Amino acid sequence: MVSIAPAPVRAHPRAVLAVIGAGAAATVWLWWNGTPAVSGFGDWLTNAGRITGLLAGYGVAVLIGLMARIPPVERGVGTDQLARWHSMGGRYVVGLVAAHALLITWGYAVTAHTSVTGQAWTLLDSYPDVLLATAGGLLIVMTGIVSARAIRARLRYETWYYLHFYTYLAAALAFSHQFAVGAEFIMNTAARAAWSTLYIGVAAAIAWYRFITPVRQSARHRFTVESVTPEAHNVVSIVISGRHLDELQAQPGQFFRWRFLAPGLWWTALPYSLSAPPRGDLLRITVKAAGGHSTAIRGLAPGTRVIAAGPYGALTAARRRRHKVLLIAGGVGITPLRPLLETLPAAPGDLTLIYRVSSMRDVVFRRELEQLAESRKARVWFVAGTRDELDVNPLSGGELTKRVPGLTDHDVYLCGPPGLTSTVTRELVDAGVPRRHIHQESFEF
Amino acid sequence: MRRVILAIVTTAVALVLLLTFKTQTQSAGPAGSPASVVGSPAPGGTGTATAASPTGSKPAGSSPTPSGGTKTVTGTVAQTVYGPVQVKITVKDGRITAATAVQYPSGTPRDYQINSYAIPQLNAAAVAAGNAKIDSVSGATYTSGGYIASLQSAVDKAGIA
Repeated sequence: MVSIAPAPVRAHPRAVLAVIGAGAAATVWLWWNGTPAVSGFGDWLTNAGRITGLLAGYGVAVLIGLMARIPPVERGVGTDQLARWHSMGGRYVVGLVAAHALLITWGYAVTAHTSVTGQAWTLLDSYPDVLLATAGGLLIVMTGIVSARAIRARLRYETWYYLHFYTYLAAALAFSHQFAVGAEFIMNTAARAAWSTLYIGVAAAIAWYRFITPVRQSARHRFTVESVTPEAHNVVSIVISGRHLDELQAQPGQFFRWRFLAPGLWWTALPYSLSAPPRGDLLRITVKAAGGHSTAIRGLAPGTRVIAAGPYGALTAARRRRHKVLLIAGGVGITPLRPLLETLPAAPGDLTLIYRVSSMRDVVFRRELEQLAESRKARVWFVAGTRDELDVNPLSGGELTKRVPGLTDHDVYLCGPPGLTSTVTRELVDAGVPRRHIHQESFEF
Repeated sequence: MRRVILAIVTTAVALVLLLTFKTQTQSAGPAGSPASVVGSPAPGGTGTATAASPTGSKPAGSSPTPSGGTKTVTGTVAQTVYGPVQVKITVKDGRITAATAVQYPSGTPRDYQINSYAIPQLNAAAVAAGNAKIDSVSGATYTSGGYIASLQSAVDKAGIA
């Protein structure tokens, strides 16, 4: 018996962006309201420094808030999309922080007729909270540098992840100078109250959703490893048992972050999609046991406790708009699509799965997929071969239009590596599929 | 890379627009150059009265006058949380005959409001007392503190006992 929970509330991406934009406008208004006049070069620089400083302080709160794993936002926007917003916004905020420091120092120097270096020294020396804030600013710049693609590729994911936590420290260090020296806050109790509310709210969200909730959930549901079974070359399925799983309202297509309390795995939370709809008190994930964690994953003993946080992800049936659905999986992207193949309501012939792999050896769930194809009267098409081996790109717009009759009338669910998903999305759009009918999820892990 | 350029350009344009809106030629109070940071560490304030051209910048010092009669002495700039305060006194025969603030915080409406009543009171008190031992004006604690500090340095420079 398969249990599908009713879809819970989701926040629309545009609504989230609108809220963020409104906050930014309110932040600029703080400056607008507190500044009667600006004149002179030094004053211009100083006020530009104030605006960039305010936006940087607001931006840091927003960036942290995007990563707070607030369920309606995760469901509505999608974890991968939130990560992309965070990464783009992060670069912008690093720029704002640097601009703020430079503009304020220069502006003060011009107004006071001192040299810029002299003014910088005065700021650091005579204004104690500014020294703290500068340390915070440097931490943020460091985070930005470490996240640059060239450097991040050289780091282990966990190293980069834990370095990133320095941003919390940076935010704390920079906070006091905002009230002590910030022109818009010194005399304005209401502004201080609002700003504090923003920061306290974000901190509370982080504490609740990222730290407390996983522990709460694990205590309530008692996630435990049931079994570990090999599926295909280097791939294992892990069945995890739990109690009261219906309360999680996990939708096919979603994933959890799993922290296995076993040697080598307890200090990292790994995101894996459910590879089957929740069944009674059992959840199944299917994992490519390669790389750093492979031995540890394969050696998981039944009875190992798990701290699981979730469900996350927006690749669910709630996005669906048309009768016909096309599922396109690239490699390991088959995992969230397999439960969708099983549960998406569809008439015989309306459901198609295209499973793209480098070689047939990489195919996972072959038997299950063929059985589902038969029982649901769905078409399942395995496309194997690297790009060099195949003459023609099987996922080009032309090929898809040929293979999938009525392509433009389909909802398309797409999951795979970022390169594949962005290429296929472009091909689909060119072939006439409306952008809003393409639902994709891709992670750069 | 294109997105980066777009973000930078958009931000710069937005900043310029915002600042242009706020640029006015009218300014309250005379120009001043807060060159020295005297006293407790202070921020740039909520906007001191600055004009575009630093005409009549008043250095901390005394302007020499003919005859041993009247002289004007300007005290050092005292930094307060809200901005710099600087007092100029007119001394005749060793007595303060006039006192005026050449710099005081006036960047926000609240500054204007407070100091429009506080400064005249402080000026009058300085003349009445003949020295820097005057009371703070209630409701204008910081300005009073800065005023008194600057007034004291002017008094010291003028050599008034």
